Amino acid sequence: MGLEQFKNRNIGTQTYRMLDLGQTPTRGSDKFKQVVKRTFKGELFVGLWVTLRAMINSLFRGELHTVKYPLEKLPISPRYRAIHDMLRLLESGHYRCIGCGLCEKICIANCISMNTRYDENQRKEVSEYTINFGRCIFCGYCAEVCPELAIVHGSRYENASEQRASFSLFEDMLTPIDKLSLQEEYDGFGAVTPYADDHIKKTPLAY
Amino acid sequence: MNAHNFIDKNKKITVTINGKTCHSTFGKTILQIARENDIYIPTMCYLTKVLPIGSCRMCMVKVDGVDGFILSCQEKATDGAVIYTQTDTLYKERQNIMKLYGVNHPLECGVCDKSGECDLQNKTTEFDIKEQNFTARDQARPVENWGHVSYDPSLCIMCEKCVRVSTEITGDEALQVKFGGYSSSIINVKKEKNYASLGEAAAVCPVGALVSTNFKYTSNAWELDKIPSSCPHCGGGCQMYYEVKRDKIYRVTNNYEFTSMCGAARFGFDYANQGVAKDAKAFEAAVKAFENAGSILFSSMISNEEAFILQKLKEKHGCKLISHEARAYQKFMQSYSRISGKNLYNGTLKALSESKGIIVLGSKINDDAPIVKYHINMASKWHRARVAYLHPIEDTEIKNIVTQFIKYEAGSEEGVAALLAEVLLQEAELPESIRSFLNDLDIGNLSAECNVGEEELFALKQSLSKKSGFSLVVGADLYAHPRAAHIAKIIALFEKYADFNVLCIPPAGNAMGVSLICELDDTIEGPTVGYNVLADFTLSALGGGDLDMPAMNQQEGTLTTFDKRVVPMHVALPYGGYVLNDIANALGLKAAYTIDYTKELPQSKGFKGIEFDRLPDSFDLVGNENRGYLLQSTEIKTDEMLEEVLDIEEFDGAVVYCCNAAEQFSPFTAKCDLLDNKTALWGSQQFAMVAKLQEGDRISFTIDGVCFSRMFKIDTSMKGTIALNPTFDMGLSSALLSSYRFSRLEFERVGRS
Repeated sequence: MGLEQFKNRNIGTQTYRMLDLGQTPTRGSDKFKQVVKRTFKGELFVGLWVTLRAMINSLFRGELHTVKYPLEKLPISPRYRAIHDMLRLLESGHYRCIGCGLCEKICIANCISMNTRYDENQRKEVSEYTINFGRCIFCGYCAEVCPELAIVHGSRYENASEQRASFSLFEDMLTPIDKLSLQEEYDGFGAVTPYADDHIKKTPLAY
Repeated sequence: MNAHNFIDKNKKITVTINGKTCHSTFGKTILQIARENDIYIPTMCYLTKVLPIGSCRMCMVKVDGVDGFILSCQEKATDGAVIYTQTDTLYKERQNIMKLYGVNHPLECGVCDKSGECDLQNKTTEFDIKEQNFTARDQARPVENWGHVSYDPSLCIMCEKCVRVSTEITGDEALQVKFGGYSSSIINVKKEKNYASLGEAAAVCPVGALVSTNFKYTSNAWELDKIPSSCPHCGGGCQMYYEVKRDKIYRVTNNYEFTSMCGAARFGFDYANQGVAKDAKAFEAAVKAFENAGSILFSSMISNEEAFILQKLKEKHGCKLISHEARAYQKFMQSYSRISGKNLYNGTLKALSESKGIIVLGSKINDDAPIVKYHINMASKWHRARVAYLHPIEDTEIKNIVTQFIKYEAGSEEGVAALLAEVLLQEAELPESIRSFLNDLDIGNLSAECNVGEEELFALKQSLSKKSGFSLVVGADLYAHPRAAHIAKIIALFEKYADFNVLCIPPAGNAMGVSLICELDDTIEGPTVGYNVLADFTLSALGGGDLDMPAMNQQEGTLTTFDKRVVPMHVALPYGGYVLNDIANALGLKAAYTIDYTKELPQSKGFKGIEFDRLPDSFDLVGNENRGYLLQSTEIKTDEMLEEVLDIEEFDGAVVYCCNAAEQFSPFTAKCDLLDNKTALWGSQQFAMVAKLQEGDRISFTIDGVCFSRMFKIDTSMKGTIALNPTFDMGLSSALLSSYRFSRLEFERVGRS
């Protein structure tokens, strides 16, 4: 598209359609007459009818245009960063977190705190894990750094609480074991790219 | 190593490394010269404090005129050599070495404890290893739990550092290589009393193969704050870091390239007096108690500054200062210096480790001062030193380094010292009075009294002939001996006239510092105040006293070490209560902090007027120690008066020897969870017969007013009629023991269990 029409600043040659607004009263009696006419002719109700019609449509004809927020919510993007979820392994149901501590290290708000221990199966076990949501800035670094896709940003964004320091425990964020089948694989911030396999360098195997 | 004897170490040489001209002396390896000159050569298996291992080949360098590469860690530089440390071929070789290390190395850095401080991780990144072209069949290698340390063979890179420290440093040879090509691994051949070796091994392990079991998987290395400090337990003042997170000590590490630590230092860190708040009422009472005190009793677990505060209080209020162990040591050293002419002994640990002949007298050295034993072991391993161990009890733990064990009768230390002097000072140039003292000794009688054969002494003399560089290590048995003053004089002859490197190992804690700073008294008078000692009013860092005090890892201050070095300690854990300085301030002294006294420590005794915050705490690139400062020896007027050797009090029948087990020194180590704190009266089968005791008998006996209730247990490795009685578990009473360490056992039977 050329730029000619934008460069043409001569508005006088455009074909504007003028509205017929009638004559503006100049005399006092004419002005008074116009006020009386507008007040009693019912123009007010023309406007009110627009609102009323919308109300009737939404209440009785099911043509609601907004979301009934606390009762219903809009779907959000997988890249949205809200309250964290802790995911489980789909096969065994064991939580994915290996206690590597990278989320704790990378957290720029210093809101993640964890303790780990040596468990009976000679594995590293997370014995305590909290996130202080009063401090969390939902930057998403923890989800991005997590090597196991264990900590991810979920979709719970209602953070109102009675205290500024509202902590969340590991168990609160962990997928309930009975809802494991509903756990969705995360494809948001920090997830593996769709073509990750193509970039992996393979190691020779002796068997 | 023997070749060292023939090398002229003073010959100056010049080498060129990467175009830089480096001046050094002959006998140093290329790597040492490079490090002196701040030139980087990558290494994986090199550990400065042991002999070159040469298992990794990372330190290869190119030398002009030499085909192939040279291992810079082993090869001594020759004059005029032109050396290159970074070339393209070297880089590729090193890359391949790192790739080989990576074969089947589990990719579990995420949970590995070493992650973040791992040599393998660092070097893999440094050499840009992005892919692996080597492969080998992986094998099942289960994790082994060795007690204090667990071993994961699949993470092990077989650098052999751990084996070397257990052989060359700690000396109990607990770890060995099990050879088998790709399936080689490290094995632990000593299942008991292996704290020190395992701790050292875990410290030097460049990967996560050897990790403290207690620490394993509890924290990432980078989350821990390293607080530099010094270990207060035995008086060695070893360099250490407390690694702390959220007011909890997770582990103790050290500058393992250059220094070593015993098990107590490494695993005995949880003795803090925590959860203490300021108790104003108890504080008032404490101030009052100090005002009325006739004597202040204190143990050796005290910093130089606190000891100085007590000394100032003595000067102000005229109370007596009582610290039995330190007092005995002080008297011993005073007497010693009347011969040697200096207020400190001349010995150092470094000289000890370079000795060719070592005599240990009057100390169960492996238990009393492990770090001294390590240095004896170094001399034994590096210089094939002859080690003569003179003691009434044979110690099987040091059998491998002792070349001659001479057993003497308990109580006959004076005679033994005189016999040693007679035999070893024959060629020395002695003043007339001393020569005649030695000539007048009734050797036959002495040797019979001490039960030391003349042929044994002759053999000792023979073994030391044609050697030079001798050390004499004496210990706590002598200090509380009734004839300590005279023994000290005889020992001092070795320093003064035979050029021996003499170490008078102070009793556990900061006894040396206390003996230098405080004017101690012998007898207790009036109402008593005790600092970590049970008294009428007790200040205690162990809990259970009338007023709480901070433990050594909760306060700043300095310690005096075996090396006569004043080293700083820093605060590892917070403390909420009152400290000794608060009491001193209430009594009229004036100092904002305890460490304000560091610069005021008595310069007449060799301390320097350096402020605490200016004390250095580091090592240079080649391991020269720059921690705190060395005490300056001061001249003392000598009088060469030797007396006659007295007949000994006989110790026949069942005898007990107050001696803590290895890695236990005081009630503070007793508090530590990781240290073995089982106590019993340990004796041999023979002892059981003499004392008419059976295994499992519970008896009670009293030494210096401290009542012990002990179960008797038979230790089959022991011989003779002397049993070992630990004292570390006696809490606030431990420091009340003041007499000679051997005593006749007079007991009451309490029962059996």
